[in-house]
Amino acid sequence: MGNSRRDTAIGHLDADCFYVSAERVRDPFLCGKPVGVLGNQGACVIAKSYEMKAAGVKTGMPIWEAMKLCPGGIYIKRDFRWYEVLSRRMLEVMRTCSPRVEYYSIDEFFFQAVPQSPGMSLQDSALAIRDRVAQEVGVPATIGIARSRTLAKLISDSAKPFGALAVLDPEAEASLLAERPVSEITGISGQREKRLLPWGIRTCLDLARADRRLVRSLLTSSGETLWWELNGEPAQPIRANRPLHKAISRGGSFGETAVDPAVLYAWLVRNIERLIEELHYHETLVGRLSVWVGYNDGRSGIGQTTLAVPTDRFDQLVEAARSCLRTAWIPRAAAQRMHLIAENLHKREPRPLGLFESATEHNRAEAVAKVKRQVNDRIGRFALRSAATLPLKSIYKDTSNGYDICDIRGKTCF
Amino acid sequence: MCLGISLARTELPLELIARHGLDRCAHARGGEKEIQFLFRDRDPRLPVWQDGQLQIMRWGNSHGQSRLLPRTGWTWQETIDSGGWKNLDAVPVDIPASLGFERGVWYRIRQGIRGLLVLDEQNSHVVYMICEPSTHYYRVMTRSDRMPMLIDEQI
Ligand SMILES: [Mg+2]
Repeated sequence: MGNSRRDTAIGHLDADCFYVSAERVRDPFLCGKPVGVLGNQGACVIAKSYEMKAAGVKTGMPIWEAMKLCPGGIYIKRDFRWYEVLSRRMLEVMRTCSPRVEYYSIDEFFFQAVPQSPGMSLQDSALAIRDRVAQEVGVPATIGIARSRTLAKLISDSAKPFGALAVLDPEAEASLLAERPVSEITGISGQREKRLLPWGIRTCLDLARADRRLVRSLLTSSGETLWWELNGEPAQPIRANRPLHKAISRGGSFGETAVDPAVLYAWLVRNIERLIEELHYHETLVGRLSVWVGYNDGRSGIGQTTLAVPTDRFDQLVEAARSCLRTAWIPRAAAQRMHLIAENLHKREPRPLGLFESATEHNRAEAVAKVKRQVNDRIGRFALRSAATLPLKSIYKDTSNGYDICDIRGKTCF
Repeated sequence: MCLGISLARTELPLELIARHGLDRCAHARGGEKEIQFLFRDRDPRLPVWQDGQLQIMRWGNSHGQSRLLPRTGWTWQETIDSGGWKNLDAVPVDIPASLGFERGVWYRIRQGIRGLLVLDEQNSHVVYMICEPSTHYYRVMTRSDRMPMLIDEQI
């Protein structure tokens, strides 16, 4: 096994069956039992424990199929808010283990791997990080450390579950790559895999040893990047600060249609509150706002406005969105869905006040927003929300509506 | 409707397990040991909290042991509300459960299920599970139109 030839490298952390592990953190009764987390209103398995996996249950499988394969399986309703809480905790721990951490998805991080104490090898550091995450967050994870991101991910995939492996020695790398089919590399599957086959490229090692120009001609420049990565040359940096999004949007279907302007307005406010959460998470302000409304007769309306100053303030966004909704509204038509789109995004930084803004007003709005966030973090999402959302009582009453799947960053929707 | 429950063995006093031979219903799913109570058992029973004590009681009247009581193991909350049990001196009780079982699906229950306790003509305790119309989630998960009334929990 390759040991610490160098003292820095790239690490990949991937939580093991994350949603199930997260449920076990708050419910030890589930430990050691076959557990499936259900998505899609209870229709299919979106995560399964290793015990359930051993029975042949696969992610995305309908529950009626899963229960035949695994009659002792226990099913749980998903709770994305809780998974998000643990994800943030993992991120906090990782930031104390590494000077550079990229939040790749709810249960995966890339990081600059450094010795966890002076003179500690990267193999021992991988073990130390894994054990710290397990101890401080309660979630089992697997860690791979290698010369590049792509290698680190392949290594953590091969070391699951609860593994910790640093492979930095080219010989050890080669034997690992020889065992993995090329389709296991993120970004190579389907068509791209088929294009490689006539050239005898089946394993990751075949791809690494193939001629670089051939790989480029078959898989374009993104394929060439992977080729460099497989050969231990980091070509994809760790992005500790994600680049600013071009747009952030929130919205979706109402479930049933709405004709009453008060109900439409309630949806508008709900979506603004969701949008503000996301803006806050990305430390971003909106420069331009659009409201799009779709009606069940196929028509749609859109209203757009440019804000006087980029903002994430509730009062200013409601004001702006209200005028957009007026434009997007078609009287007496049955509205079915709505999207709020925030564009012209700015990094949230202390900024000068706008021409017509008063400092007291601004400070007060900031203070209100802070209290709202604190209350909702403690008691539950939307515990404190605008009274304008009252017409949507039934939506808020079912706590399973608390977190829409699309509020989860970087994960496949079910 | 809920056809059975499972309870973590550690939730039951050892004396109670011994007295009722509950280890015969022990189940090893992995992890913590469980005791299962199924309606299809020859002699269906349920654990019940009564006066601060956990007891094992007969579940329903499936064999028609009582001529007075309905020959089932469940009752609707609506039936209770509309006075259907008024003449039987029924009392509400809690049925502790770690898991519920419905049409082949086991699902997690945090505390337990609401029950209704009555005395039959031989003065034996009989417990019924209280049920209500399924939520959308429960119906999709189990394909059942009725679900047990859970204690302080909504699924
Ligand atoms: Mg994972």
